[in-house]
Amino acid sequence: MTETTRFSTVFRAALSRYTVMYLLLGALCLLFLAPFAWMLSVSGHDLAGVFAQPYRWIPDRYRWENFSLVTSLLPFWRYAANTLFITVFVLVGTLLSCSLAAYGFSRIRFRGRDTLFALCISTMMLPGQVTMIPLYMLFVSLGWIDTYFPLIVPAFFGSPFYIFLLRQFFMTIPREYDEAAVLDGAGRLRIYWSIILPLARPALAVVALFTFVGTWNDFFGPLIYLNSPETATLTLGLSMLKSQVVGTGATQWHLLMAGAVLIMLPNVLIFFLAQKHFVKGITVGGLRG
Amino acid sequence: MRHHLLLAGVLLATTAFHGCPRQNTSETPEVVYNCPANAADIDVLRNEIPAFTAESHVTIKLNPFTGQDKLYAMMAAGQAPDIFYTNTTMRDRLAAEGRLLDLRSVSKGDPFVERLWPAVITNGTSPDSGWYSLGNWSFTLGVYYNRDLFDAAGLPYPDTAWTWETMRMLARRLTVDANGDGVPERFGIFIGSHFVEAIEQMNGAGIRPNTLLASLPDASAEAFTKYLALMAERLMPDIRRVQAMGMQPAQLLQSGRVAMLVEAVPHQMLIETLSLRWGVAPLPRFAGKPPRYFRTSSGGLSISNGTRFPEAAWQSVKWIVGKASIYQPNPVLRDLDFVGGWERRYPQLAGSGFRDVWNLSLQHDGGDPRFFVRFSSWTSASILERLQPTLDRLWAREIGVNDVRSALPEINAHARRDLQDLLQREGIKPAFRRVIERELRNLERGTAQ
Repeated sequence: MTETTRFSTVFRAALSRYTVMYLLLGALCLLFLAPFAWMLSVSGHDLAGVFAQPYRWIPDRYRWENFSLVTSLLPFWRYAANTLFITVFVLVGTLLSCSLAAYGFSRIRFRGRDTLFALCISTMMLPGQVTMIPLYMLFVSLGWIDTYFPLIVPAFFGSPFYIFLLRQFFMTIPREYDEAAVLDGAGRLRIYWSIILPLARPALAVVALFTFVGTWNDFFGPLIYLNSPETATLTLGLSMLKSQVVGTGATQWHLLMAGAVLIMLPNVLIFFLAQKHFVKGITVGGLRG
Repeated sequence: MRHHLLLAGVLLATTAFHGCPRQNTSETPEVVYNCPANAADIDVLRNEIPAFTAESHVTIKLNPFTGQDKLYAMMAAGQAPDIFYTNTTMRDRLAAEGRLLDLRSVSKGDPFVERLWPAVITNGTSPDSGWYSLGNWSFTLGVYYNRDLFDAAGLPYPDTAWTWETMRMLARRLTVDANGDGVPERFGIFIGSHFVEAIEQMNGAGIRPNTLLASLPDASAEAFTKYLALMAERLMPDIRRVQAMGMQPAQLLQSGRVAMLVEAVPHQMLIETLSLRWGVAPLPRFAGKPPRYFRTSSGGLSISNGTRFPEAAWQSVKWIVGKASIYQPNPVLRDLDFVGGWERRYPQLAGSGFRDVWNLSLQHDGGDPRFFVRFSSWTSASILERLQPTLDRLWAREIGVNDVRSALPEINAHARRDLQDLLQREGIKPAFRRVIERELRNLERGTAQ
């Protein structure tokens, strides 16, 4: 076999392998994008258009007014401000508490450290439903129901998954940095603040992104702990568009989807802005296994 | 760094303190109403509540949420809303645990009670004869049909006395299989499997209050067979296919995929979204059997036994049912012109058949088949957990009606075990305990209904 023929065979094999792979990825991509596309499509229809058969993916006229209707049907900006308020504090709390705990678990040697870490990780096994009622009763006794405290304060006590993720990342940072800092007179907190945190930016970006998305989209927490309509978050507000007319049930799907698009925008924006850090954090950090 | 941390802490505490809402300390009796989480309804209620407050000196605070998780958490913490919605199964459980106020204690001598249809009161009573919920809405069922398709086929519209056989004949004429592949492009009718109980009822299956074990009377078995025959004859789309396509019944009718559709009457979404010429007829009768139309006002508004203001809560319930505009005109009030009110609200209802369907359901009120034991009893959760998969297989025509019947002893044995477990629970009120014990004894003697 000549060089040219061998090259041609290898090239063809690679081409066919990549073609199959890309076709497969493309198909998967379509599968995952379909609900998103449907959401965008429905958000531009009127209610009759949503139920039209056959369904028209591209409406005759995209009804931009659905978006303004959503913002007028709900106190949308009030809910957005409420959601942002909670999200910012949860973000700060999670990043501070988880990174501190992870720093302790990865850098400080103390008796029972591994047991404590295992205990911390094992709390991930507890389903939310199990702790819901005891937590609710606790917050009632603290007088925190219908306030944002139950949604914000727990973030300052760490989250096992993020502690695990950050610990794994911190362990990849050479100890020589700490030793050098100690020689320069730095204490534990100074090392944490000035050495570890700046080096752990990709992992912190991952935690921040997960926390942002999780808190911004959280429905169950606000549902349980908030009562007054004026304290509601965007996800609760969105659920209010699901009409429950007595005896029937008429959901305004086009408005619901327009609301979903609006709510999703910050998530998309944040993801694209933090994409570089996010991918790096995932590949370099604890998630790589 | 210390400065950074200190600054962050101060900022956090200050903002959190100012940003978090505080509790109401008003002196006026304040009743918390767990209203449906619906933006438009909340807006209307909030605008109307001040007028109610001015008149009654009772404030209603809205606590909109849906789903039982939060309600149960609130109850466990002794923080239940004063007024909330209960379905029949939930109502009996909560009443047995002493969590609901017996409405008789606040409604005695109140002329408002005279305004209610008797069924609203009867349906709200429990094994101890306590009245624990006030139905806040009611509806019947009807057959919505596409008038254009009937006209094109030269068929008369269904009348008020049409029978199941007439319906089948019309469905056959309206079914179109143009390409002859055996899968019609248009089906004559669609009846969701969740409405089969209405067919059972029309065929004579009765409601036996306070029974706890599932049975399959002949009238029900026959209704199942007739329902399945619609699919076998390809007059109705396959239930699984409809579910798999994710189509809503309204879509089936609107798109011309079916010519007739059984749905709730009135059905606000259908009325608002159907853009074709439509009419509505009562459910078809079964030859030789008296008509017994579906009417439900099951479930409804309950008042928490822990309310600080029982009288104020009762006043609020009356206002919600009788005056809050989103619920008006309300069909659970017999002194209101319900049909006229709805025709004024939706002019397309005039001449649609809505008035006849509604009036027939009042004349031949068959009760609420949702009180069949499988839906509304102590054991319904246990029964449905095992019966529903069996019924799903039946609707998929994987098994026959007799297979359902033969599955019942095992299903009831599970229900019996669940009942015995329930008896072990503390806090069950004696009247409710007695019903459970009686049924268990009947089962031992082999005389369970």
